[in-house]
Amino acid sequence: EKWAVTRTKHPPTSLALQHFDATYSIQLGKLWPSVRVALLSERKYGALLNNFSHDAVLAGLEAQGCRDFTSDTDTEAQTSEVSTEEESSCVSMKKSGADGQQLPPLQLSPHIKCSVFPRADITRFKPARPDMCGLLGYYLMDAASVLPCLALGVQEGHNVLDLCAAPGGKTLALLQTQCIGFLCVNDSSVSRTLRLKKWGEIERDTFDRVLVDVPCTTDRHSLMEDDNNIFSKNRTGERRKLPQLQLELLLAGIEAACPGGEIVYSTCTLSQTQNLSVVEQAIYLAREKHGINLQVVDLRPLTRMFRKTFHFAPDLHLGEMVIPHLAANFGPIYMCKLRRLT
Amino acid sequence: QSAQRSHELSPPPAEPATELSLHSLLDMGFTDTQAQQMYDTLSKITRRSAAKHALSTLTALLVLGLNPSTVLKLLEKCPELYTVKESQLQQRIGNLRKLGLGEGSLQRLVAYYPPLLTVPVKTVKHVVVFLREKCLFTIQQVTDILRDSPAIVVENLDHLEYKFQYVYFRMGVKQAEMVKSRLFRFTLDEVRHRHCFLERRGLYQTPDKKGQTTIINPKLDSVLSVDQDTFLAHVAMASSEEYDVFKRLMAREWQEEELRRGSIEAD
Ligand SMILES: C[S@@+](CC[C@H](N)C(=O)[O-])C[C@H]1O[C@@H](n2cnc3c(N)ncnc32)[C@H](O)[C@@H]1O
Repeated sequence: EKWAVTRTKHPPTSLALQHFDATYSIQLGKLWPSVRVALLSERKYGALLNNFSHDAVLAGLEAQGCRDFTSDTDTEAQTSEVSTEEESSCVSMKKSGADGQQLPPLQLSPHIKCSVFPRADITRFKPARPDMCGLLGYYLMDAASVLPCLALGVQEGHNVLDLCAAPGGKTLALLQTQCIGFLCVNDSSVSRTLRLKKWGEIERDTFDRVLVDVPCTTDRHSLMEDDNNIFSKNRTGERRKLPQLQLELLLAGIEAACPGGEIVYSTCTLSQTQNLSVVEQAIYLAREKHGINLQVVDLRPLTRMFRKTFHFAPDLHLGEMVIPHLAANFGPIYMCKLRRLT
Repeated sequence: QSAQRSHELSPPPAEPATELSLHSLLDMGFTDTQAQQMYDTLSKITRRSAAKHALSTLTALLVLGLNPSTVLKLLEKCPELYTVKESQLQQRIGNLRKLGLGEGSLQRLVAYYPPLLTVPVKTVKHVVVFLREKCLFTIQQVTDILRDSPAIVVENLDHLEYKFQYVYFRMGVKQAEMVKSRLFRFTLDEVRHRHCFLERRGLYQTPDKKGQTTIINPKLDSVLSVDQDTFLAHVAMASSEEYDVFKRLMAREWQEEELRRGSIEAD
């Protein structure tokens, strides 16, 4: 009798699993079982360091066996250089690939630090404690969520737009750069009115950097929590409309960027439809409808640097994706960086 | 002091029939060295009364058809056997025979798992009734289980029931397959680790009410009766790093679940 529990017939979490089994087993092939078991097991966190805190937080975390993954880079990828903080407040990286081919320089946002426990270590972080000013020493979040912020490459004096900011994890990471000239934070849950349109019309050609961290099927959440689950029957319509909403948000972000400005599109789903397809369409529509030409920025230097910490999906033809793995249970995070040429 | 005396090779005149003599051991077919070894083992049993059944135990084991060196080995593994009364020993052997364990298999079983003869007939009967009535194994299956996994007789029945139900309901495995895979040789954790790992990888499904699954589950036998490397390479298709992390995560998950259940029950 102990196992013959009566369960709801189709809880959203099992609908999500069915959906993922059907789509990801094709999309990821042999990798899917390994990603699946990671998604269904306890995730790992990273501790985003609060540079405004007064405590010696990093030292404390290191004493517990953590390391800041942003400085714990792959030695092979490090061959060229990592500029020191004195040299420049914004790190510029010129990388040559493992195959010797020269990759274009990639700017990473400086001063963002995130501590993680080593590979295969399942120790949990203790909740952060406030310092004497009441500031918390760190913020616990998926360490892979820090990557889109690093990839954004914010530099001194930049005007930055965080288009889908709530609840603010990535905003916090961006603020750690301490070099943002002006940060504009938007989220429909705050403004209520459809701000989206406004961004296109009023704030056109304005921002040096735009982060477009769109709502998505939040794969990990959808598998673990029945509450507020996008796979519940009554949210089917909303779920189907996600790629369209994502496309509109990315286009709004592209329009809000200035010529020469850069946009990072990110999600926390493995879905090709919500990732690569959205970016492809946005690039096409930006050119056709708005006359904006975009260049895809190669993020391979970043994946090479951080492959000690994360598992990246192999051979994506557009953007990069952190795929969950039991020994490094971060992600999923998809990100693609675009540069406005016109 | 009396325990010391058994060290001297002559038995006290008071109880000549129950004491061992070097002579009788040699008569039974033990070599000099074996006989000496046996005396050493016996001298470690400090209560003199405890060892007084040594002779009848030895006789019974030899009568079962075990050769002297096997007898010596199994008594070293399980000296408690020296303390079992002759009548009890005969009852226990008789009971196991009744359960279908013929000469050959009983012999092998006792050599492989000597504590089997230290377990009271009543306890064995409880286990058999449990297997027959709660788990609906056939008489033949119960015999097979006892032969393959004799240690089942000392297991806690609640744990046993949980393990059976886990495999029956959660894994959807029928009795015949449980017997074939020698399920009861494995601890619940070993079973759960492998099963949950496969399940989360999408390689194992609990059958629905009609017993159907959308994938073909691997046979319990191929999941359990292989070493870990074979399991990972051919069944789970995973790295040992993944499985190692997984087992540690599971241990924590189950521990926390138990704590939660404990605190709910305490309310
Ligand atoms: C993935 S979450 C963002 C998470 C956030 N960037 C962080 O790191 O904490 C997506 C957000 O998009 C917001 N959103 C949904 N529709 C929107 C719209 N039309 N315009 C702006 N934001 C929207 C949701 O309220 C949600 O907070």
